[in-house]
Amino acid sequence: MTTTVGPFLMVNLERCVGCHTCELACSVAHTPSGTLFGAILNNEALFPRNRVIQVEEVKLPTQCRQCEDAPCVRVCPTGATFRTDTYIGVNTNLCIACKLCMMVCPFGAIQTTELQMGEKSKRAAIKCDLCVDRLNGPACVEECPTKAITLVYPKEVMEAANRSSSVRYLDAVKSQIALEKQS
Amino acid sequence: MTNYSQKILDRSIDPATHEMMDHAQKNNWNIVWDRFDSMQPQCGFGELGLCCRNCAMGPCRITPFNEVGPKQGICGATADIIVARFLDRMIAAGAAAHSDHGRDIAHTLLLTAQGKASGYEIKDEKKLLGLAAEFGIPTEDRSKEEIAEDVAKLAYAQFGQQEGAVIFTKRAPEKRQELWKSLNIMPRGIDREIVESMHRTHIGVDNDPVNLILHGLRTSLSDGWGGSMIATELSDVLFGTPTVKKSAVNLGVLKKDEVNIIVHGHEPTLSEMIVAASQDKELIELAKKYDAKGINITGLCCTGNEVLMRQGVPSVGNFIQQELAILTGAVEAMIVDVQCIFPSLGAISSCFHTKFISTSPKAKFPGAIHMEFHEEKAFELAKEIVRTAVENYRFRKHGQVHIPDNKTECMVGFSVETILNALGGSLAPLLDAIVKNQIRGIAAVVGCNNPKIKHDYGHVNLVKELIKRDILVVTTGCNAIACAKVGLLLPEGADMAGEGLKTVCNALGIPPVLHMGSCVDNSRILVTCAAVANTLGVDISDLPVAAAAPEWMSEKAVAIGTYVVASGVYTVLGVVPPVLGGPEVTNLLVSGAEGVVGGKFGVESDPFKAADLMTNHINEKRTKLGLPV
Repeated sequence: MTTTVGPFLMVNLERCVGCHTCELACSVAHTPSGTLFGAILNNEALFPRNRVIQVEEVKLPTQCRQCEDAPCVRVCPTGATFRTDTYIGVNTNLCIACKLCMMVCPFGAIQTTELQMGEKSKRAAIKCDLCVDRLNGPACVEECPTKAITLVYPKEVMEAANRSSSVRYLDAVKSQIALEKQS
Repeated sequence: MTNYSQKILDRSIDPATHEMMDHAQKNNWNIVWDRFDSMQPQCGFGELGLCCRNCAMGPCRITPFNEVGPKQGICGATADIIVARFLDRMIAAGAAAHSDHGRDIAHTLLLTAQGKASGYEIKDEKKLLGLAAEFGIPTEDRSKEEIAEDVAKLAYAQFGQQEGAVIFTKRAPEKRQELWKSLNIMPRGIDREIVESMHRTHIGVDNDPVNLILHGLRTSLSDGWGGSMIATELSDVLFGTPTVKKSAVNLGVLKKDEVNIIVHGHEPTLSEMIVAASQDKELIELAKKYDAKGINITGLCCTGNEVLMRQGVPSVGNFIQQELAILTGAVEAMIVDVQCIFPSLGAISSCFHTKFISTSPKAKFPGAIHMEFHEEKAFELAKEIVRTAVENYRFRKHGQVHIPDNKTECMVGFSVETILNALGGSLAPLLDAIVKNQIRGIAAVVGCNNPKIKHDYGHVNLVKELIKRDILVVTTGCNAIACAKVGLLLPEGADMAGEGLKTVCNALGIPPVLHMGSCVDNSRILVTCAAVANTLGVDISDLPVAAAAPEWMSEKAVAIGTYVVASGVYTVLGVVPPVLGGPEVTNLLVSGAEGVVGGKFGVESDPFKAADLMTNHINEKRTKLGLPV
């Protein structure tokens, strides 16, 4: 098992206004034409991998957290669900839409839908893939009008916190020494 | 040759616009394209027309997703209902704007006839008598003022009329009138249809998308054959029917050493007075006292087109150039009335000595000085405004002035009457040329600018492609100015046309693209179509004609596009209207409508492909008429 700590999407709860733009951006990003008008005109299925919900007064988009020890990967009987260094993906060719992953996901971030596979269609599980094949990164991040969604790399966040807290600690120690010298 | 950034080059094809955009960028001035960038990405629900705010149970948002998300609003309205309601409201707003403009002109004519207006006179008596005859108003032994009063009152009555048909619909071919009656979309009164649009789109009223769209057509017809036509016809009576004249366009018409005044907006009422006031000797002397060589009146948008058509007043540019004009630092006063005026002009003017003056009681702006216009004191106000501008010349910072050199000559003033004159008094030479396939057909290319489309790129390329294919182009509004900038409104522009059209233009000494006026003057295009159809004894939908609005943005453009389609003409839009979220409505507009009213919409942002669509349509109509293709 890899030890990489991959990125995930973090939501600023104070910023989300519940406009559902991320859902639209997500579904468009996963169509062959890649544009809203193109998808509508070509009759391509639009299906979001994320979902905006409201809890009490707070609105927020929910999507896969790209768990490191993901239940959806463990439970998959066909090996369709897999983990890379970056994200958790679904091999739709292997998926049989058995819905076990839906059952075990604590975030409700995976679901099954009708997918177009060339001429034929089949049902398979879909979930957030962090738009790994998209040039500008996750569509929801790019299109959120209030910039409520960011792609964060936990290790970087942790290291940055290490550094800044250490700097603060050092400053405190220095000023303490200076004080002691004065007295 | 300056090297502009790719970003600037991608936004416009006009060199004067490039220069001013670069100038703005260097000075950190925020203009329309910067605001467009910071608005990206734009809301997809809005783009599809899928959000409804018509009641307080909402806002509701229908998702276009398969399987998930709401498919009905809280009241139960489907995507098609929401899209159709919103489209009707856009049409109603557009029709309201044009028609209220028409109402204002009728008001001015009435006050003029009653001797209550200052500075106005009835300039085109022939047109007045023609209208009186059309309206059944007696003319014998009556003064023109008496006749004008009746004409104005009858025009006024069109707005509040409850039953029957708006009077100018009689100008349409009989077949067309019968069709409108049979579909129950004959406009009864101008205000009535607009009000009914608002009623039907209120929660829980009309919830049949087709029924909604049919009323949308009726509302738009009350604009095209009602409000807009009243505006055009009565403006001609008051200010004279446009005749051929030469002028110039683009930012280079602003002068380094003169007091520059820009009249911007849509109505000719005050701007005509300003043109007159600028010729006042005392004011010219005052300008000279401040070392200005004279007073230079220029226009913008459709107020600009009105005075360009009638007075040959040069135009500084089209809609999207309005901020750039102020950034030249050479504008003493920007005078605005109504419609298409950026609210940003106040802030932008404040960077300069420019006085931004609003004049309509209906339209006030942040950062503007309000000098309210009333017909009773129109000339006095016009003089006061010109004086304010002249006095302001002293404060111009000459070191800050940056005027692009670009200006292009143009030939304008092609009212229906003028076109008939050019043809020697009858439509026969035009029809003859169409029959012989020297002219393949006629295309009306009109509409605004929109930062979604590279400025003037859609307009100019579409028109160039059309004339290359021997399609005579008639133009109004911001398309006309785009065409003027590249020399298409000159007789020499015929060199860019196909052989057939070129021959006809050279023989008549006319440009291949005829400027017919402002956006209410699209009614002139309807009158032309009706006249051609009546001469041939066919309906408008049988004619080898097509229309396009390559860079449209306003609700007025939606109303125009709809009345053109409802009059039987295929219309290609360069910007997708917010309807794609409703599949039934979309299908009706781009296909089903043809079987009902003989016209339909097309959507194509690529001007070359749009030209193909229009040419194919024109060829089809030619074949049906048994004409060579």
